[in-house]
Amino acid sequence: MAEKLFRKILVANRGEIAVRIINACRLLNIPTLAIYSTADIDAVHARLADEAVEIGPPPPLESYLAIDKIIAAAKSFGCDAVHPGYGFLAENPLFPEKCEQAGLAFIGPPADAMRLMGNKVEARAKMAGAGVPIIPGMKGAGADLRMFENAAFESGFPVLIKAAAGGGGKGMRIVQQPGELQASIEAAMREAKKAFGDDTVYLEKYIENPRHIEFQVLADNHGNTIHLFERECSIQRRHQKIIEETPSVALTPALRSRMGQAAVRSAEAAGYRNAGTVEFLVDKNGGFYFLEMNTRIQVEHPVTEMTTGADLVVEQIRIAAGKEISEYLIDITQRGHAIECRIYAEDAEDNFFPSSGDILYYEEPVGPGIRVDSGVTGGTTVGVEYDPILAKLVVHAPTRELAIAKMINALREYKILGIKTSKKFLIDVLSHPEFHAGRTYTDFIDQNMADRKVDIVPALEVAAAASSLAMMEKPKAATASNTRASQPSPWQTIGAWEIGMRISK
Amino acid sequence: MIQHFNHQDTTLETSAEPRDNGADVVIGNNSFSVSRISDGKYSVELNGVRHTVCCVIRGDRAYVDVEGILLELSIPSEDGNAGGGDIGLAGEKDKIYAPMPGKIVKLLVKEGDEVAEKQPLVIVEAMKMENQVNAAAAGTVRKINFSDGDQVDTDTPIIELEI
Repeated sequence: MAEKLFRKILVANRGEIAVRIINACRLLNIPTLAIYSTADIDAVHARLADEAVEIGPPPPLESYLAIDKIIAAAKSFGCDAVHPGYGFLAENPLFPEKCEQAGLAFIGPPADAMRLMGNKVEARAKMAGAGVPIIPGMKGAGADLRMFENAAFESGFPVLIKAAAGGGGKGMRIVQQPGELQASIEAAMREAKKAFGDDTVYLEKYIENPRHIEFQVLADNHGNTIHLFERECSIQRRHQKIIEETPSVALTPALRSRMGQAAVRSAEAAGYRNAGTVEFLVDKNGGFYFLEMNTRIQVEHPVTEMTTGADLVVEQIRIAAGKEISEYLIDITQRGHAIECRIYAEDAEDNFFPSSGDILYYEEPVGPGIRVDSGVTGGTTVGVEYDPILAKLVVHAPTRELAIAKMINALREYKILGIKTSKKFLIDVLSHPEFHAGRTYTDFIDQNMADRKVDIVPALEVAAAASSLAMMEKPKAATASNTRASQPSPWQTIGAWEIGMRISK
Repeated sequence: MIQHFNHQDTTLETSAEPRDNGADVVIGNNSFSVSRISDGKYSVELNGVRHTVCCVIRGDRAYVDVEGILLELSIPSEDGNAGGGDIGLAGEKDKIYAPMPGKIVKLLVKEGDEVAEKQPLVIVEAMKMENQVNAAAAGTVRKINFSDGDQVDTDTPIIELEI
């Protein structure tokens, strides 16, 4: 690499996305500084970066959200750029502003575009003005129950209550009947207040059987804005995406092209720079409506990378350094099919309650077209302080059917013991005939998984049989695992990635 | 070697005969041939069908992955005590615990209320998400130990029911 884009980059995040960013920086030969809270002293991201600095106690406000501490750390360690990842400060316009004041490049969009898109009400008005279709029955934000009631009766139930500052399903409620309206608004406001510090919520017509399809965009400072096709993220649980794929079975080439152009128009109207995602709802008849723009790298960006060959984090860094979008991306095409599953620390058999504990055994699946973006490894303590995402499993195959089969196998081969994970639930979703048929609407989980039961009886005896041998081996096994713990983890020795894929050892 | 494993209200008795790099294990009418593949990884054969199983023992628990199904078995100690107790507190339907440490957002019932099975009782916030805790059985609310806004751990029941 001839020219260094930045001197050193501070990675203002934790978990798998921090690891992803550190590895992208390695490709570009840029040293990294990780930050960590006292809860993350042994976390993978803190160990993997070239340097790491403790930033504060576990509560995010005192560590991963503490703008001044983070900027001070960047300055004192000689960084000239900051990558926010997703979540935490990624969509807080104060962060790019303060970075700029401190002479640090912010690897993301300008504060103005972030501020515009961060306010869902204003964003939609702006998009409507730019000729991008928006959801019918939109109403502005308001705190008066009577206003909500009128709006709800006008557009008809069901309606959706959403946080104006929201995202990620927090502060969002579907209301089926008038009687549920008040309680839902209160719950949504509480969640919104807690998650975003702003309890403004609004109401809109709820479109039934919609698909959630988003377009990846890139915009540089030289007037180029491109899209990198779609990701379908319809499989959601409580409005939290759990499985994403590309291409979407719902898009014809003509619809794809129209939506892609609308996404580019959205980004241009917002004065957008860097990587972003324009989210649409697509109805049964191929109508599409602007939902919101995510002004950050998305959790699900790897499926786009698998099918286009792009390295989106590398592009983010290049664009922030003033470069044009890489030439190879200009005439990009989609190749094959990619699926991502989010692996959460939660118990699918008990209401998806978050699970915490030590990871006692960890083994990632390997093979052609299999990628794991993980923030954990054997020995990692999974706490309750942060988002329960552990890792993302991504597969790429020539067809959707082959990708589904590859994903199911890879999930089986992905071994994480000591905490509960959503793995079996994901296997069951992927194995469902409706998923195979491509009937993936955003209510898929409610419609198809509500009566799901796991028959553990046959597995139970098999588990007990293995456990009885493990019990007999116990003294030996304990010694073995002690030995393993003292060896360097693969994370410490793995080196660089290649187009987002970890090179196998 | 005889060993017991508990899972919810099921107890399994295994009788294991060690052999080279493995063991023959009998559970009820089934005979399993268990072989070690690597640390924590085993091949378990039943009636000619092989399953690859991951298993780690930590304390009085066995953490097991049987082809994607995750199971936690508790291992009673040799003096006959029940080990780490039942998994998932399934035996204590009259006590409602927080699923994990968090904050009580809203109590949905008050003392003396009659509740139906699966009726929502309390909303607990953990990891930034609001989680609804439901009644495991029908009954009457006997005692509520916390108020809205309280921090809760997983050791003290939030609500006690008369069932």
